[in-house]
Amino acid sequence: MMPRAKLKAQKRDAAEVLLKSRAVPAGGAWITKARQAALSRVSEMGLPNKRDEYWRYTDPRRLTDSEGQAARLHDSQGELPVFDRFDRLKVVFVDGVFDPAQSDPLALEGVEIVPLAEAAQTDLHWARDLYGTLEARAQSPVERALASLNTAYATEGMLIRVTGKPTKPISLIYQRSSEQADAMVHHVVRVEAGAVATILENGPMAARFNQVMEVEIAEGATFHHIRAQGRDHERAGAAHLFVRVGVDAQLKSFTLTANGALIRNEAVIWLDGADGSAHIAGATVGDGAFHHDDTVFINHAAPRCESRQVFKKVLRSGAVGVFQGKILVDQIAQLTDGYQISQSLLLNEDAQFLAKPELEIYADDVKCSHGSTSGEIDPHQLFYLRARGIPEDQAKLLLVLSFLAEALDEIADTAYAEDLRERLEAWLRRRG
Amino acid sequence: MAALDEMKMRDGVDRETVETVQSMAGTYKHGWETDIEMDFAPKGLNEDIVKLISSKNNEPEWLLEWRLQAYRRWLTMESPDWAMLDIAEIDYQEQYYYAKPKSMAEKPKSLDDVDPKLLETYEKLGIPLKEQMLLAGVEGAEEGRKVAVDAVFDSVSLGTTFQKELAAAGVIFCSISEAVEKHPELVKRYLGSVVPQNDNYFAALNSAVFSDGSFVYIPAGVRCPMELSTYFRINAENTGQFERTLIIAEKGSYVSYLEGCTAPKRDTSQLHAAVVEIVVLEDAEVKYSTVQNWFPGDENGKGGIYNFVTKRADCREDRAKVSWTQVETGSAITWKYPSCILRGDDTQGEFYSIAIANNWQQADTGTKMVHLGKNSRSRIVSKGISAGQAQNTYRGLVSMHPKATNSRNYTQCDSLLIGDKCGAHTVPYIEVRNASSRVEHEATTSKVDDDQLFYCRSRGMDEEEAVALVVNGFCKEVLQELPMEFAMEAQALVAISLEGSVG
Amino acid sequence: MLEIKNLHAELEEDSEVKILKGVSLSIKPGEVHAIMGPNGSGKSTLSYVLSGRDGYEVTEGSATLDGADLLEMDPEERAAAGLFLAFQYPVEIPGVGNMTFLRTAVNAQRKARGEEELSAGDFLKVIRAKAKDLQIDADMLKRPVNVGFSGGEKKRNEILQMAMLEPKMCILDETDSGLDVDAMKLVSDGVNALRDAGRSFLVITHYQRLLDHIVPDVVHILSEGRIIKTGGPELALEVERNGYADLMAEANP
Repeated sequence: MMPRAKLKAQKRDAAEVLLKSRAVPAGGAWITKARQAALSRVSEMGLPNKRDEYWRYTDPRRLTDSEGQAARLHDSQGELPVFDRFDRLKVVFVDGVFDPAQSDPLALEGVEIVPLAEAAQTDLHWARDLYGTLEARAQSPVERALASLNTAYATEGMLIRVTGKPTKPISLIYQRSSEQADAMVHHVVRVEAGAVATILENGPMAARFNQVMEVEIAEGATFHHIRAQGRDHERAGAAHLFVRVGVDAQLKSFTLTANGALIRNEAVIWLDGADGSAHIAGATVGDGAFHHDDTVFINHAAPRCESRQVFKKVLRSGAVGVFQGKILVDQIAQLTDGYQISQSLLLNEDAQFLAKPELEIYADDVKCSHGSTSGEIDPHQLFYLRARGIPEDQAKLLLVLSFLAEALDEIADTAYAEDLRERLEAWLRRRG
Repeated sequence: MAALDEMKMRDGVDRETVETVQSMAGTYKHGWETDIEMDFAPKGLNEDIVKLISSKNNEPEWLLEWRLQAYRRWLTMESPDWAMLDIAEIDYQEQYYYAKPKSMAEKPKSLDDVDPKLLETYEKLGIPLKEQMLLAGVEGAEEGRKVAVDAVFDSVSLGTTFQKELAAAGVIFCSISEAVEKHPELVKRYLGSVVPQNDNYFAALNSAVFSDGSFVYIPAGVRCPMELSTYFRINAENTGQFERTLIIAEKGSYVSYLEGCTAPKRDTSQLHAAVVEIVVLEDAEVKYSTVQNWFPGDENGKGGIYNFVTKRADCREDRAKVSWTQVETGSAITWKYPSCILRGDDTQGEFYSIAIANNWQQADTGTKMVHLGKNSRSRIVSKGISAGQAQNTYRGLVSMHPKATNSRNYTQCDSLLIGDKCGAHTVPYIEVRNASSRVEHEATTSKVDDDQLFYCRSRGMDEEEAVALVVNGFCKEVLQELPMEFAMEAQALVAISLEGSVG
Repeated sequence: MLEIKNLHAELEEDSEVKILKGVSLSIKPGEVHAIMGPNGSGKSTLSYVLSGRDGYEVTEGSATLDGADLLEMDPEERAAAGLFLAFQYPVEIPGVGNMTFLRTAVNAQRKARGEEELSAGDFLKVIRAKAKDLQIDADMLKRPVNVGFSGGEKKRNEILQMAMLEPKMCILDETDSGLDVDAMKLVSDGVNALRDAGRSFLVITHYQRLLDHIVPDVVHILSEGRIIKTGGPELALEVERNGYADLMAEANP
């Protein structure tokens, strides 16, 4: 085993090499300050290393190498992108760069939305209170240097402030045109007191991507987040979601992942105000050279909050599913209700499920539980369906979809859930 | 009628609990010290000390070499930091690595030759050292089961009871130093084969300086005629105890082994780093039960045993079975993960645990179930109770290897919090590398139910009695895995460990 | 036996919620009193306040058992003093055997009263006889307290506890709820068997039907935290015929 001091030195050396090879983008005073602070965090922490406990089940090298690997473009064969049937404010990125020509005008009642590239040129912007601050807070108790790298180098993203109840969702669409692009996108979202916002995200983003979304949900506000991470097999990427939930505020976040050579989705949620609620869910389907990692940290830092994590993975033919989830309940957070379930369905022998579901609890009047299971399709259920005349393939499909349903149920608006369910069904049918 | 008799016994046990709780006013029961002249090796650790320990035990050359190799490996290792334990740095040069009562300089031939003061110590502990003693203590019980006891006092083994009867069955139960002398081929073959020298920091330390411990060999097809038991006691100040236990269960054999631990109250912390290795061969079964009641430190967190233990069983052949049951109520620091390597097909591993941390105690304990063989089964039931300012962590690994097809694991791990200044944590690792295996893990954390407490109190119990009763109920699934004699002691311990946690 | 004078109680966490607003009643040894009243009148609160459950604040008045101040005592002290509450919703305690529970309770009370503890043998003899009367089998005694018991089993178990603990003042909180006719008969017989000159009962119920089986000496009507009428068994029949509305209107014109 490598001595701890040596590992730390190795991580820092790797960071030094990377930082030297990249110039910090030019910008106004507020963002320059945030970027410099992020750089010093990276130097201090060093780059993630596969020997880190935090990267126990996922080798981070494809994400930390100085160059990303190429990834072929996926042919959608005429299938319409997800969310296409809904009325929404379309904001399009191509290989991680905002494309105004394909986007709707950035105007929607109750929302202020500005590209990061534009705001970065000013000396003062409301986003300075958030940009990089939630990311910085997320560095404890575990280091997430990839996110700091993003704060330092990202030039693309949207700064979104929701003050009312917009009539349609904001839809962030990530298209690809290059087999090589290495994208860094950083969004900042503030949902003001009493406001209600829905943000949709879909598309494969880039051959390699590193994304950060920092969200502040103010008192009594509601934020719904629904994400579908494209299907391109060869991509690698990390997406970070950092959310501060205020008094009486609500978060619902759902992610659908289908394929990708390496996808790490990190979420850090702080329930900072009393009576807040955070639900985070994910449905994953993957086969072949697929490595998918959900890493979730929920911190109950105020009384009477509720949190719920529901993660379901269907894996086959060498696919690997990882779940690391932690509920931390501070001493002050009495009457916490925390629930977490992570489950995998392994469709054939060489799929893998690796999980570390944790509870860390310092308050006594709490109700916290977690469950984790792994197994194949229940042969008794399968037989029962077949005995009633349902063909085997269809019976399996039914059982797989019913397995995923608990995660999809976490989507508040059933129309979106139905759209995603259809995609999942199509994906499963194509693979028989 | 059988059911009613059983009920009566159970009932007797429970009454015992309550009586014991009532009779013990507040503090650690085993906190006295035996005043005996000791023979210490010089303080500190170096190759000379390792050589000295080896020569004190008249060990053969190969074992000395083995120890020295372990020592050199230990020097290159770091103390693990991944457990949720806040441990003051340990100065390994400030410890004594060997302490032996002077009266033991010449090994006693039988128990009659043992210093009566030592025997008195064990009598105070309530351990029946004399042969033919009736145990169980259940009302109306005319004859209890026999339990053979090996007692380890600081660094050396005092003598083993029932030697003759065991020998007739072909069972070897003796101190490990005696085994080195009389059965070197067995020791050489199996020592370090389950827990290698460099397995971890504390195992390496133990391999270098282990002083004594128990050795058990059950021949093929033998069902051990009685329960075997070892009692460990750390007596001398600033002394580390490093016992090493080796159990070998040949094909088709069975043994139930009990282990108990106590230590006197001291202001300074004491080190305990033990290794237990169990080899289970085809169709054999080993049941290993522990009641760990080392001194936990006082109510301000002063003193107490640092307990770093590596326990592992290797179900080496098909249908081997091992069951760990532990009641961990003592020690200032507990770092302990009794594990099962389920190597053969159709092997079984079980882990039942109660861990209680009160005042300033810290416990990080759990198990590893490593499934390598087909159709292997494992079951984990862990009950953690935190009170006072204590931190209690369950840490466990369930690993299903690609070839361990059709295997099963079920894990249930529950935590109970008493008071709002303690912590309860759960850190399971679940690694499933084949699809036909099924793994289920459930964990809950909650506080002692107010309604249950009120219900008990409205029936006349005081608050501490009520808490003890409810907590004993919470632990029931694990307590019932213990042999009867231990179950009584364990129930009493549960209650005693929680004293001062309410009100 | 039990003397309640001008008892006022409110919710501990919300002093705006006043539940008992001056309840007075006096139960003599050997008497059976019934308290009837509509939902929310404070019936269960009265039983909880008397038995010492957390969550209520007594702001005025007193309650004494044979002259001893109940309100000053911890719940277990009240039990040792001879007060017994048969719960409306008996609590489940997983892992704790029913026998163990009872034995622990019996001996704790005996000890508190300075009596000698029952030996295992004597205890078994006594409980078997009493359990038989209540048609409680050995299996029910062995199972964890109330876990997986049917509604009737739970209530029978409460009465068994009462029989074992031999309290002098028994409060039955809606003991009839969730019982079918046969179970009600069984439970009532259990209660009636315990009636004697030295033991008093306070039977709290919403319906009159229980009082067909356990015939009270005195009936009180509780409404909005006050006793609005007191009478003999005929008062219960009046409620049965006309409901509470008339009585309440009479009390609050």
